[in-house]
Amino acid sequence: MVSRLVQNTKVMKHAATFLLPSSAVSATNRLAQTYALVVLNQQIPKFTPLLWSHAKLRICADGGANRIFDGVPKLFPDQNQLNIQHRYVPNVIKGDMDSIRPEVHQFYAELGSEIIDDSENQDTNDLHKCISFIQEQTSAFDHSNFCTLVTGALGGRFDHEAANLNALYVFSDMRIVLLSDDCQIRLLPKTHQHEIHIQSTVEGPHCGLFPIGGPSVSTTTTGLTWDLCNSEMKFGSMISTSNKVREEKVTVCSDADLLWTISLKTPIHMGLTC
Amino acid sequence: MEVMWHASSFLLPQPQPQEPREDAPPPAALTYALIVLNQRLPRFAPLLWNRAQLRVCADGGANRVYDNMPKLFPDQDPQEVRLRYTPDVIKGDLDSIRDDVKEFYLNLGVRIVDESHDQDTTDLHKCVAYVSGSAPVEDKSKLCILVVGALGGRFDHEIGNINVLHRFSNLRIVLLSDDCLIHLLPKTHSHVIHVQLPVEGPHCGLIPIGAPSARTSTTGLQWNLSDTAMSFGGLISTSNVVKEDKITVSSDADLIWTISIKKPIKE
Repeated sequence: MVSRLVQNTKVMKHAATFLLPSSAVSATNRLAQTYALVVLNQQIPKFTPLLWSHAKLRICADGGANRIFDGVPKLFPDQNQLNIQHRYVPNVIKGDMDSIRPEVHQFYAELGSEIIDDSENQDTNDLHKCISFIQEQTSAFDHSNFCTLVTGALGGRFDHEAANLNALYVFSDMRIVLLSDDCQIRLLPKTHQHEIHIQSTVEGPHCGLFPIGGPSVSTTTTGLTWDLCNSEMKFGSMISTSNKVREEKVTVCSDADLLWTISLKTPIHMGLTC
Repeated sequence: MEVMWHASSFLLPQPQPQEPREDAPPPAALTYALIVLNQRLPRFAPLLWNRAQLRVCADGGANRVYDNMPKLFPDQDPQEVRLRYTPDVIKGDLDSIRDDVKEFYLNLGVRIVDESHDQDTTDLHKCVAYVSGSAPVEDKSKLCILVVGALGGRFDHEIGNINVLHRFSNLRIVLLSDDCLIHLLPKTHSHVIHVQLPVEGPHCGLIPIGAPSARTSTTGLQWNLSDTAMSFGGLISTSNVVKEDKITVSSDADLIWTISIKKPIKE
């Protein structure tokens, strides 16, 4: 069979080092990245403080601020709740402000969070607006080493979830990872060959590859239990779900944009000294 | 192009007689089956159960019925609730169902089918194939399969469940959660959706999962589409709002229709 796969020479590397305690990510680790965190309006994953500790920029999308205000103290039940709330203050709260509670709004405003009211812009969803904002703020950054972590993008209303997945496609030149307690999702753009360095203490083994934007004529992988070899994938037929990682490095090469998902091992040890 | 009718009448507390409309024949009465997957039951699970003529648990879905149905009736004796809500079949690779749950249902005569030899298809796929072959209805266009526990949780499971809608595109299959429902609008038909306003809406969306749409048109939505192209990376219709109780959709691509479910739904 003649492979229709275009030979991509550019390699994109991925590693979920944001799931490791900061101490475990060495300064010389060439995969170490600069992170932003976006908190959407759903229950926060239990390891949110770990993501917060990695991030240089922390943004709450509207009601995501309620989730941090209410949710983070619950993750430290033995600590003084107000102290915790003072320690987890977002840099920015952005959105149409119809979900954030007034007392939460006031609390963070007084502690210096920048409040950006977007209510005039009804064209895009909260996640799109936050990522556009990050794109503007970080134009000076090296985007290949910059990664946006997102909590609260999955579950709840399906149309919200679809819009959040679409953000990965719309901003396909940015690294964005959607996270829940159960799994993470990222886009593997067809413009690159991909190397995924599995952090096996915190992720795996369940994984999958999905062509939700359009079919793949030819996808090839290594490192999975059921590797693909110039395989066709499309909805209505075969897509790679309930796969498993078999090696520490997984490679993916495809003619189509694919969503990669991998399960998370819980509990995730945060290694935070509070 | 043939018209396909949709109505979430299974969410209504009592089956409502369909009023004849000038512009359309009433949707044919459907026979319902229910499949329970391994996630927390939505609060209206008893309503769906009572509407269904065939109830199938996929593996750990049996744990969910055993544990959670009694919780939905906190004033009643748990064992009595379990006896009232006993599935017809439990099917799958049986690596999630608890031993005590399996024994309880075996003693009640529930058929338990071990399919661990088949690793090629998901639990939902197996259950849909079973229901399609076993449901007490000859005309499959009159069968509607309701599924709970298909959304949320591990994303690859959710996507695998959505792919079942595409693989069985000739069957009516509805995935339900506490927040919303989704079903396929196959490109082979134009679609009329009778929105059941007491129980669903107003938030809705149309999503081209698997392949883009070059042309989709709608009526009845706040932001209608008019020969509009939709794709991941471009426009998809989310956070839309139903404006009328009759929505029409026609498209060159298979679309996922989603609509929010109002809270609370009383049984």
